[in-house]
Amino acid sequence: MPEYLLLLLLVLPFAGSLAIASLLRTAARTLPSWLAGGVALLATILTASYYPSVTNGKVVRYEIAWLPELGLNFTLRLDGFAWLFTMLVTAIGFLVVLYARYYMSAEDPIPRFFSFLLAFMGAMLGVVLSGNIILLSIFWELTSIFSFLLIGYWYHNANARDGARMALTITGIGGFCLLVGFLLIGHIVGSYDLDRVLASGDIIREHPLYLPALVLILIGALTKSAQFPFHFWLPNAMAAPTPVSAYLHSATMVKAGVFLLVRLWPALSGTFEWFWLVGFAGISTLLLGAYFAIFQRDLKGLLAYSTISHLGLITTLLSLGSPLAAVAAIFHMVNHATFKASLFMAAGIIDHETGTRDMQKLSGLFRYLPYTASLAMVACAAMAGVPLLNGFLSKEMFFAEAVETHADSILDQALPYIATLAGAFSVAYSIRFIHTVFFGPPPTDLPKPHPHEPPRWMRFPVESLVFACLIVGIVPGLSIGPFLHTAVLSVLGPETPYYSLAVWHGFNLPLVMSIVAMLGGAALYFALHNYLARCEDGPPIFRHLRGQRIFERILVTVSWKWARWLETNIGTRRLQPQLRIVAVVAFLAAFLPLHLSGFDAKLPPVRGVDPAFVMLWIIGMLSALAAAFLAKYHRFAALLLIGGSGIVTCVTFAWLSAPDLAITQLLVEIVTTVLLLLGLRWLPKRLDKIDESATFSARLRRLRDFAIAVACGVGMSILAYTVMTLPVPDTIANFFLERAYSEGGGRNVVNVILVDFRGFDTMGEIAVLGIVALTVFALLRRFRPATESIGLPEQQRIQNAYDDAQPERNKGDTVRDYLFVPSVVMQWLFPVVITFAIYLFMRGHDLPGGGFAAGITMAIAFLLQYLAGGTRWAEDRLRILPLRWIAFGLLIAAATGAGSWFFGYPFLTSHSQYLTLPLIGKVPTASALLFDLGVFSLVVGATVLILIAIAHQSIRTYRVKAAPKTEDA
Amino acid sequence: MNEAFNLPFWAEIVVSAFVLLGASLALIGTIGLARLPTFFERLHAPTLGTSWGTGAMVMASMIFFTVTSGRPVFHEILIGIFVTVTTPVTLMLLAQSTLHRERAEGNPDVPASISKTPAADSDPKEA
Repeated sequence: MPEYLLLLLLVLPFAGSLAIASLLRTAARTLPSWLAGGVALLATILTASYYPSVTNGKVVRYEIAWLPELGLNFTLRLDGFAWLFTMLVTAIGFLVVLYARYYMSAEDPIPRFFSFLLAFMGAMLGVVLSGNIILLSIFWELTSIFSFLLIGYWYHNANARDGARMALTITGIGGFCLLVGFLLIGHIVGSYDLDRVLASGDIIREHPLYLPALVLILIGALTKSAQFPFHFWLPNAMAAPTPVSAYLHSATMVKAGVFLLVRLWPALSGTFEWFWLVGFAGISTLLLGAYFAIFQRDLKGLLAYSTISHLGLITTLLSLGSPLAAVAAIFHMVNHATFKASLFMAAGIIDHETGTRDMQKLSGLFRYLPYTASLAMVACAAMAGVPLLNGFLSKEMFFAEAVETHADSILDQALPYIATLAGAFSVAYSIRFIHTVFFGPPPTDLPKPHPHEPPRWMRFPVESLVFACLIVGIVPGLSIGPFLHTAVLSVLGPETPYYSLAVWHGFNLPLVMSIVAMLGGAALYFALHNYLARCEDGPPIFRHLRGQRIFERILVTVSWKWARWLETNIGTRRLQPQLRIVAVVAFLAAFLPLHLSGFDAKLPPVRGVDPAFVMLWIIGMLSALAAAFLAKYHRFAALLLIGGSGIVTCVTFAWLSAPDLAITQLLVEIVTTVLLLLGLRWLPKRLDKIDESATFSARLRRLRDFAIAVACGVGMSILAYTVMTLPVPDTIANFFLERAYSEGGGRNVVNVILVDFRGFDTMGEIAVLGIVALTVFALLRRFRPATESIGLPEQQRIQNAYDDAQPERNKGDTVRDYLFVPSVVMQWLFPVVITFAIYLFMRGHDLPGGGFAAGITMAIAFLLQYLAGGTRWAEDRLRILPLRWIAFGLLIAAATGAGSWFFGYPFLTSHSQYLTLPLIGKVPTASALLFDLGVFSLVVGATVLILIAIAHQSIRTYRVKAAPKTEDA
Repeated sequence: MNEAFNLPFWAEIVVSAFVLLGASLALIGTIGLARLPTFFERLHAPTLGTSWGTGAMVMASMIFFTVTSGRPVFHEILIGIFVTVTTPVTLMLLAQSTLHRERAEGNPDVPASISKTPAADSDPKEA
């Protein structure tokens, strides 16, 4: 078998899921079932045909380089154990699809169900097939998510929602811990490759980080497998449709935890910590799960607790650290999957036919469902461990291992007794299942009073699974033997012990334990029989200790109380403290590392500077200082002064031969100033009188803020100065200068860097710019100014009053008169500015200019029209759709980048040549020009979007009226 | 600046005359902006630089580059046109808004509008 088909095996369910998802809006019922069944069957056949490639410890590997620099590759790996598990996932998956086809009622949306189910199958296959532990943890999370979606399938049901949420929370936390654990393992081993990890068991166990890694991975595995103390999500997940319970919560997903324990068994097991942690969880789960199962009223609840208990059994076996126990664990995983899935399906049939799962209502169903009853009885017997069935074999192996001494301790010595007791419990609940449901008097108050046998093909999955139980139980060596051997060999390798799968091992201690458990269980059931027929749900005493309640308490405490406490004690809604914190943190983030690494700020003397340049800078600095000084009471003046220092920066760029930067700075300065100016309108009006008296604390606060500002500013200056004066012998700049024309096809190096060499950065930047614009828009769209700023400004009110007083004038005529000549000129300039933008754009690749500058120029053209005629006037005449500009820009930039794939080059490879156009002459047409067009379009869209967001403030009506004070003024 | 050496003598004279003229006009305008007493008077001063000042500079530039590059160079005219078109807009806006404010504040020194001024009958302080 070629190894790339592994990829097909993994992709197939996801593709099927997507295909079915496309039917979501249709009422299709048959097609989704056929699709899902076909995909599952195909996957089963594919898996089966891989068998010859995995026998005798062979491994199939398929690797795609993903992020090789980080050691992350998309590695798929199929060995004997993974094969066995894949077979379980696909084959039981197929049977569940078949079963669900008949189980789901007419009202249920079928496509959604099968789409999720197939996606889950894909995620599960991903967990099993992953050859890289990071990849494994990704698929692990995916199983949690699809489990969430499947449990919450009937989302109109509150129990389903709660159960889904709880399952997601618990397994999600576990998945997170698992990821951290894997990162630790990766750190210890130096690789995330599963083969490397498995081969480095000794290194891992010796490492000081072994214990944290072990605990984290165990949290992941134990939450997934519903082990004590994380077991309580599983019974609540029973609100899911029964096929989901049969598939996820008995056969596959909950097995993922123990699967992982087996998978990592060679790497992690065999230490004292392993035995205690895994053993304690396993033994308590085994015992408590079995005990709780006896007292459930709900059929599925009984099965859920029984599942928990059996998973505990597997965990216990794995904790022992002996190869034989690992064999028993793997064997029991398969056995449990077969009998438990069939039991869930049988429970589903009973529920489907009678309308209830309450064991106090169900009774004597044998006469209605003889066939289903017989199947359920066989499966139950397998669960109880009756000889000649598969459950018996693995249980015998468990008893044998329990008797052996592994790690001498109280836990180990108590194990045989605990095992026998748990065995007795499991016999008791198995008898209860059969006896209450199928025997006794006919039921009296069933919601559906006339139960009958289900359709032929709904029974088929149960039949197949029960048949498997029987075959494995009677002739284990001929049926499961070789497959089990393959699986065991791949996990244990040379350590593989001799084991026998024979049904009869002679009269030995495990057999005695089995007999004791059988008799004890039967006696226990008949002793409790009358109590169980009437009692409340849940085991005595423990029924008051509800895991769900505790879980919700914890959730409320963490997500509500603590969050509230943090919000009230640490958070603030005031802007000033937030800004202060940001500034201080930024300062410390720069200062501390520099200080610790011994940064010494040496300011070399300033020499040979042109006095004119110094003058220029003094003007700039004075502007900045004056702006800061005036910012409190004279915002407008401060804004103009900021513009002044901006112009100085712009001149500096021109002076230092950076025309590109100078142009961009100038344009940005214009737009910023105008936008800020428009924003000034919405700041609260200045107080009439300036209050010069300040309290001592206010002065202190100002002093502190002043100190922070000075520290940040001076620190930034020193940093910038040091960086700029550092002698850099050979920088990347030379590379760019040399290659710009030869490889980028442009003489404007800055532009070539932006759109070609570092095009991917630019793409990220324009995406950020687009997001910023959208954020500003979203914030301003809901912006409600303070009531005192709502009223019209004084000037405007005077004009309006004047216009209102004259009968022949309309509102706004005065301002139109005043602005008449300027606005005409501004309108005339519109095409001129656009021409200028195009000019800047076209020459960008060779001369200063480019998409960014052109975009801002274009935005200025629009801005000018808004200023000239007002918002309504401009929008009556110009239909600007900034969102489309943004979208078009992003799309064309991405499409240009992707275009190079078609020519077999990496993303964003640029191609350039000259094109001769009539009239204009030779025009450089690099594909980077197209990319630049994207930049241009996005910049226009983003800037205009912000402009529109501000401009629309003034034509809004506000529900809250302006404060009366401004009305009277 | 190597081209300057190729300039014939007559051209040097003409170019420097235009440059000097433009620079002096601009300087006078700047001094005026600083020295004139009222806002409306000040408004006039910078126009010296933006009208004939710019014109002289543009002429100088055109002659210089036409002579040095040996072909007619005219695109500086665009600078002149744009400065001529846009500067009045700025100044007009400044003048109009100041006028409006002065009228609104009831300053008797500014002339009333030909149409009735808005401030004349709806002065906020009297209303």
